[in-house]
Amino acid sequence: MIVQGTLDMLILKTLALEPLHGYGIAQRIEQVSQGVFSVNAGSLFPAFRRLEREGRIKAVWKPTENNRRAKYYALTASGRKQLQSEAEEWSRQSAAIARIMEAC
Amino acid sequence: MPIGSKLSGGLRALFHRREAEQEMDEELREFLQSSAERKMQAGMSAAEARRAARVEMGSVESVKEEIRAAGWEGVVEALWTDVRYSVRVLAKAPLFTSMVMLTLALGIGANTAIFSLMNSLLLKALPVEKPEELVEISGSAPIGNSGDDYGLTNPLWEQIRDRQDVFSGAFAWGSEQFDLARGGMTQNADGLWVSGDFFRTLGLHPAAGRLLSTADDRRGCAALAVLSYGFWESHYGAAGSAIGSAISLDGHPFEVIGVAPSGFYGMTVGRKFDIAVPLCTTEVFDGPKSRLDKRHFWWLHVAGRVKEGIGMARLKSRLAVLSPAVYASAVPGDWIPAMQDNFRKRVMAPDPLTTGLSDLRKDYEEPLRVLMAVVGLVLLIACANIASLMMARAAARGKEMAMRRALGASRLRLMRQLIAECLLLSFAGAALGLLLARWGDTLLLTYLSGVHRQVFLDFTLDARVLLFTAGAATITGLLFGISPALGGTTVSLSDTVKKNHDAAGGPRTRLRLWIVASQVALSLVLLVTAGLLLRSFRNLATTDIGFDPEHVLLVNVNLFTARTPPSQYTATYDRIGAQLRTLPGVVSAARSMLTPLGDSQWNTSIHSDVPHPIVNGDNLVYFNFIDRYYFATLRTPLLAGRDFDSSDSARSQPVAVINQTLAREFFPGVNPVGHTFRPEGGARKLDPPIQVIGVTSDAKYESMREEPVPTVFRPLTQTPLPDPADSFEIRIALPQRVMGKAVENAVAAVNREIPIEIHTLTAQMDESMARERVLAALSAFFGGLALLLATIGVYGTLSYLVAQRRIEFGVRMALGATSRSILMLVMRNVAILLIGGIVTGIGLSLATSQLLSALLFGIGARDAGAIAISGALIAAASLAAGLLAGRRATRVDPMAALRQE
Repeated sequence: MIVQGTLDMLILKTLALEPLHGYGIAQRIEQVSQGVFSVNAGSLFPAFRRLEREGRIKAVWKPTENNRRAKYYALTASGRKQLQSEAEEWSRQSAAIARIMEAC
Repeated sequence: MPIGSKLSGGLRALFHRREAEQEMDEELREFLQSSAERKMQAGMSAAEARRAARVEMGSVESVKEEIRAAGWEGVVEALWTDVRYSVRVLAKAPLFTSMVMLTLALGIGANTAIFSLMNSLLLKALPVEKPEELVEISGSAPIGNSGDDYGLTNPLWEQIRDRQDVFSGAFAWGSEQFDLARGGMTQNADGLWVSGDFFRTLGLHPAAGRLLSTADDRRGCAALAVLSYGFWESHYGAAGSAIGSAISLDGHPFEVIGVAPSGFYGMTVGRKFDIAVPLCTTEVFDGPKSRLDKRHFWWLHVAGRVKEGIGMARLKSRLAVLSPAVYASAVPGDWIPAMQDNFRKRVMAPDPLTTGLSDLRKDYEEPLRVLMAVVGLVLLIACANIASLMMARAAARGKEMAMRRALGASRLRLMRQLIAECLLLSFAGAALGLLLARWGDTLLLTYLSGVHRQVFLDFTLDARVLLFTAGAATITGLLFGISPALGGTTVSLSDTVKKNHDAAGGPRTRLRLWIVASQVALSLVLLVTAGLLLRSFRNLATTDIGFDPEHVLLVNVNLFTARTPPSQYTATYDRIGAQLRTLPGVVSAARSMLTPLGDSQWNTSIHSDVPHPIVNGDNLVYFNFIDRYYFATLRTPLLAGRDFDSSDSARSQPVAVINQTLAREFFPGVNPVGHTFRPEGGARKLDPPIQVIGVTSDAKYESMREEPVPTVFRPLTQTPLPDPADSFEIRIALPQRVMGKAVENAVAAVNREIPIEIHTLTAQMDESMARERVLAALSAFFGGLALLLATIGVYGTLSYLVAQRRIEFGVRMALGATSRSILMLVMRNVAILLIGGIVTGIGLSLATSQLLSALLFGIGARDAGAIAISGALIAAASLAAGLLAGRRATRVDPMAALRQE
């Protein structure tokens, strides 16, 4: 489960550290969220395709640690910008939500 | 950047499809492998881990499907796949496909045909430069008449041309029939008088040679002519040698200087022009006292191209300011002072000329709307049939659908595919329909044309018609595609495996019964419409016209074109009459100024010597001048008094024969024979009294639709001024094609130069009923089509119903039900849908038939007879279809049906 509309941001954030392949991204999101978010392939790969088309990420085929070929995704400059604005918007909103939840 | 990468990524996926698919496969495989490895690290066995990874991902195909759907190329690709798949599916059912396509071609074709007529007649802009800037100047018609039919005089046009400051160009035009032959049988060509600036202002460029200019339109000008493109093609084979050649118009030589562009047919929609000549050449035809200076000769239309930046309001006020000076300089001198004053007060008004002029619009706008509604309903009924067929097909394809869903196709994907199938069908049908429409429209035009009126319309396909047809195809496809797409895809594998039947009272069956009932209702509306229009036409065709039109030839001659001096007119006519009477096969021959139903009139107000209430507000009566053979030839019975005879001459007492209506209205309560009346002459002075010598029964004067009009017949021997274009009525005993040549020779024997035109009185009658005939024929055709479609609908749905209830019927029969009671079970359904359909249909008819009232003759819009006959017709057809389907129910073999379960 993933908060609606945040998958793109999570992918971008995950890729901000280093380029990763599909499974690596899913893995990283699950680990960092401590198992709260698990992403299935059916939503992950369409999101890659979308972000790639929008120019937020770019893909290269590279050998993996196990010496197989995998498609690695990396952030582009526009993706970085996008991540920044989405992150700002997100922290603004989550802070607001937190304030409301605490007040009542 | 995003747009660029979207586009290039999509294009790459489309054109390097295999590569892209391989990449996707590889990526997903890698994902699964990584996932499985990870699980193995957590302690699963290799097989378990692979299985768990697969379960987590779900169907690989649907993941791929979703990835494809994330880019735009997915849509294109899916559509393309749908279309290819649809073609394969449809090609496997050729009978079904061709039936549906044919039905659609008829339905959409009929809609396209009527719309394209409407488009050509009502909507299309003139094919000239910026037609929206053109306005016509009207408001100058004789008092009591609205502007359009009468036009302006040349003196008025010259005033407007010289004084106006609102147009970047102003021009005038008028129409005329020219005779291309030099004597003998007339070869008519449609002529156009145009002012010098006509072509330049319209922004037209010559297809060959040059067009007329202001330099060509001066008093005493040379006889120059411009041909229309169509005329150039048909008469000269589009040869360049036409330019500079001579052409004879009413016997006068004209030099051809150029050809107008193709696609330009003149300013009047519904007609075309063949030859355009400058206004000034009327002097060639009329001589020095031509219509150019006549202040009461209303033959021109005047229009202009509005200067940039002048709005309608400013144009209007400026024209109003200019009006007094324009009218004051063109007052007809022989009018009485009061009328002259009125004339000076007239105001020029601008009317948009974007779509040209048309005298057809008034007559055909209403019928076209009715026909549009009719063909729309037919298409709707056809749609219902196809929807029904599609639903049956969808039910039969349940297994295929279940299989495809099981393999990972989403419901949306299946629905899209089914709808693609329907749209493919409807667009293929529409393409065929376009061809049908073209053919139908050409056919329609020949039926609308008559001896006097050749209807011409430009049916070149334009964006509007194509858009309409595409829209009709889309709506149709969705209409008959939506319900099977919704119904056909809600299958579950288990249900299909269990072969679950749609219960007889299930929602899908009920929907189908509803559809059929509405088909019955709509067909009833169309049948009632057809019934009303057919009976109206029959009333018109069998109305008492007051003469016997069979075996009568009408021969028009023109002595003016033959250059016979006016003093010789009467003698020439007499010689022609005598020649005609000697011909074998001629029973009798008469001469008159006007022919009955000839679409022209001559009227004057009269004052009778018997006190009577004023008739029609102005005591207007209709005149004709005839000879003493006229009534006998046309077989119009004389009711009282005597016919004209040789004693009625120019020097004897002025006499007249009147019709019953005139006798009743102007001589109430007395025997009019011996009484007198006085016509109003020029300047509202009364002419000398005319004595009534006889009364005839009423006869149609100008049109089949008119109520009897008060009519005065005067002897030709007493005309104040002989007319150069009288007509002969000849009652013949031999076939027309034999007599035509003989008549032509007889006239030529008197003078070879005389142009003649021959047609039959029945043709003239038919022309007067062309609109009603076409409406009746078309509505009958579409009514019949609707009946057929509805009957097929009833049969199809009941057959489906019977098939659904096979097992039930089998059980019933096994338990002892007779075939009669089984049949009754089926027929109960028919009865319910019939009663529902017919009651709704009658309601709809009553609500809508009022729209027809303006088109009906001698029958009310709410006619019980038409409704009863239509209802009976559709009930009989539906019952027959029901019985046919019901008989199959009685033939169910109980054992076979039960074993099937």
